[in-house]
Amino acid sequence: MAVQAGVRVGSSIKPVERQRRDKLPYMLALPIIIYEGIFILIPIIQQIGSSFTSDVIGMGAVKWVGLANYDRMLHDRNFGNSLRVTLIFMVGTVIVAVGAGLLAALLMNQPFRGRSIARTIMTLPWAFPDLPTVLVFYWILNPNFGVANLFIRFLMPWLEQNPKWLLDINLAMPLVIAIASWKAFPFYGLVILSAMQAIPYELYEAARVDGANHRQAFRYITLPALLPTLMLMAVLACIFAFRQFVVVWLTTGGGPGRVTETLVVLVYKTAFKSFDFSYGATIGVAGFIVVFAITLLFVFLQRRQEAEAAI
Amino acid sequence: MTNQNTPKKTEKKNISRRDFLKIGAATAGAATSIVMPKIGFPTFIRQTKMELNFLTWFWQEAGRGDAWRMMIKKFHESQSDIHINEGGYGQEDYFSQILIQAKSGKIDGDLFTETPDGFLRLMKDGHTISLEDVVKKAGVTLSKAQDMLRKDGEVNGLDIVTVRFGLLYNKALYDKAGLGEPTSIDDWSTAVKSLTNKPNQFGIYSPHVASDPFSTWFILTQWPVLFDGVWADGKKPRLTSEPVIKGLQLFKDMYDNAMPQGTDNGTANIMFGNSQIAQMLVVSAAVNQWKTLTKDEQLYGNLRSAKPFWPGGKGITRIHPICINANTEPEKQAAAKEFLAWLYKKENYQQLLEGCLDVIPAIEGGIREEYRKTLTWADGYDATTAITVPEVLGDFVLYNDELGQIVVPHFQEVLSGTTSVEDAMAVAQQEAEDLAARVFV
Repeated sequence: MAVQAGVRVGSSIKPVERQRRDKLPYMLALPIIIYEGIFILIPIIQQIGSSFTSDVIGMGAVKWVGLANYDRMLHDRNFGNSLRVTLIFMVGTVIVAVGAGLLAALLMNQPFRGRSIARTIMTLPWAFPDLPTVLVFYWILNPNFGVANLFIRFLMPWLEQNPKWLLDINLAMPLVIAIASWKAFPFYGLVILSAMQAIPYELYEAARVDGANHRQAFRYITLPALLPTLMLMAVLACIFAFRQFVVVWLTTGGGPGRVTETLVVLVYKTAFKSFDFSYGATIGVAGFIVVFAITLLFVFLQRRQEAEAAI
Repeated sequence: MTNQNTPKKTEKKNISRRDFLKIGAATAGAATSIVMPKIGFPTFIRQTKMELNFLTWFWQEAGRGDAWRMMIKKFHESQSDIHINEGGYGQEDYFSQILIQAKSGKIDGDLFTETPDGFLRLMKDGHTISLEDVVKKAGVTLSKAQDMLRKDGEVNGLDIVTVRFGLLYNKALYDKAGLGEPTSIDDWSTAVKSLTNKPNQFGIYSPHVASDPFSTWFILTQWPVLFDGVWADGKKPRLTSEPVIKGLQLFKDMYDNAMPQGTDNGTANIMFGNSQIAQMLVVSAAVNQWKTLTKDEQLYGNLRSAKPFWPGGKGITRIHPICINANTEPEKQAAAKEFLAWLYKKENYQQLLEGCLDVIPAIEGGIREEYRKTLTWADGYDATTAITVPEVLGDFVLYNDELGQIVVPHFQEVLSGTTSVEDAMAVAQQEAEDLAARVFV
């Protein structure tokens, strides 16, 4: 009957009109396809092409070098270091930013006076532009004049001199992760909060009747319900962390040494400070593959969740 | 009725003499407006001003920017055909921005200034033109140092500011501490430490934070010269040579004991202006910014440059040329030459030099004796022996930034205390040799 009904409805539309309707979605998608083609696809193709050439200003004409740049990349200590640094930064940011977002969401989900104002305040770090945020932290963490010195001297009065903060090889990465996470956690917090508010209240009431305490309610109701959102946030945090340039560049420039030199910072330094565009493009292609893999993982997880939900 | 319509038809078909003249004039006007700019008629025929875009970091430099604006205003008042527009970036980003523009196909300016190493790279890649006719028209004799700006014997850039490294110090702070001018590196090292009273006063500053990559490398290049060293000899990097190691060890010692660590260059300049920093290893051109910006009117009078007390007594001398873009339109090149010939006339050049508070002239007779006598801070700079950037960087002068990208991160490891200068430079030497193998093929 459904098929017959479909046929009946379909047959009532004129062929020309049906054809127009069939094309409509494509027409609507066309502007974004053209935009992405020009500004994303073509540069990606150009970048891949450039990675097979030698293109350094002052070294004469662009030459085809085949896989030489990839060979150089695989033997490049700095590339290996950047991959490792990127992974540390990514994992650190995911744990701290998404974790802080979850805690903030749990807090903001509680009924208390001034909750709306608190939620607004919570979003401020995310709303601030990157540059002033970094400058504020830059001054807070200045080894001579930063206010952080007062706190650390209060907490650890036995210290003979102020920590070097962002200039310290051991502190630089945790601090950059902290700054990047401080900037990002409100976004994750808001998304998790909205997911949290979609959990039926009856579930908590039923659990309370069954004698569950707050911790158990969180463990057996909130967390399973939030899991799809948390996974989505974790994947997004990975992608955002991978692409993070401004915070890393402005706080440490990839230093001290190369301890915070992520892949994007290395690409920038190689292409725009050492003017080796083709090798920069090669590292960029490697980065593209990493992001592509993460995106595929995200798609895979999403489909699996949808499949599980359907069951 | 017929009689009324007939003339109308005739009007449509036939063009009156007046209409013909109107159409002819309009067509000629349109054709002229299209063709004139391409064939480059003199501006007095075209009756429009030639707009030139002048890229430089000078606009953003305190004191120097004002002096240049004054000269541009004077030039605009001296003629009505050419108009110069300001363009460019801050010094930290200038070189990379220009190089990226060059890479994209064309530098976005008709005139531009460059660093010595940046200029050589752009000249090699054909982004500059000969300025021999400008020199002839201005009727000046160029300094010998400008020979490095020549391609096939013809000068491609005109030195517009020569700066020399030296030790600039605040005499009032030295006097207050009962110290005289240093006579040896050990003497200097002791003085630097005794002038330090953290966090209120620091003995010395040299850029070192990651947000100042240009300044960090720019000034770091001078430190081995204090031990009569060079960074490279031809195509061979000398990062493990004794003078380089000693220079960097001296930096590290002063960094640990006497520098405001983690302070960016801009803030350090303010601190120097407030007499919170006693001295800097810095180029002569920097003085103008303290004269212009500082609130302490006494400071300028207290500035002195130390007579060279280090072995060899050399200071890197950097020639910054002004060039004409080879890829701009010919009539704009001609207008730019007009401007440069005017600027390089002795009286105009002297006025610019004095406005910029510069001390090393690019042309014979470029500095007036009466003006020079007023520069109480310049004696040390004058007494320092010039060593050029190509002499210090060897063939790496064409890959100056690349070399800096290798040295600075390794030196930052030294500053953070995780490795020694010797070990860090051993790794850097290997990377520099790899760079040499790639670029000097």
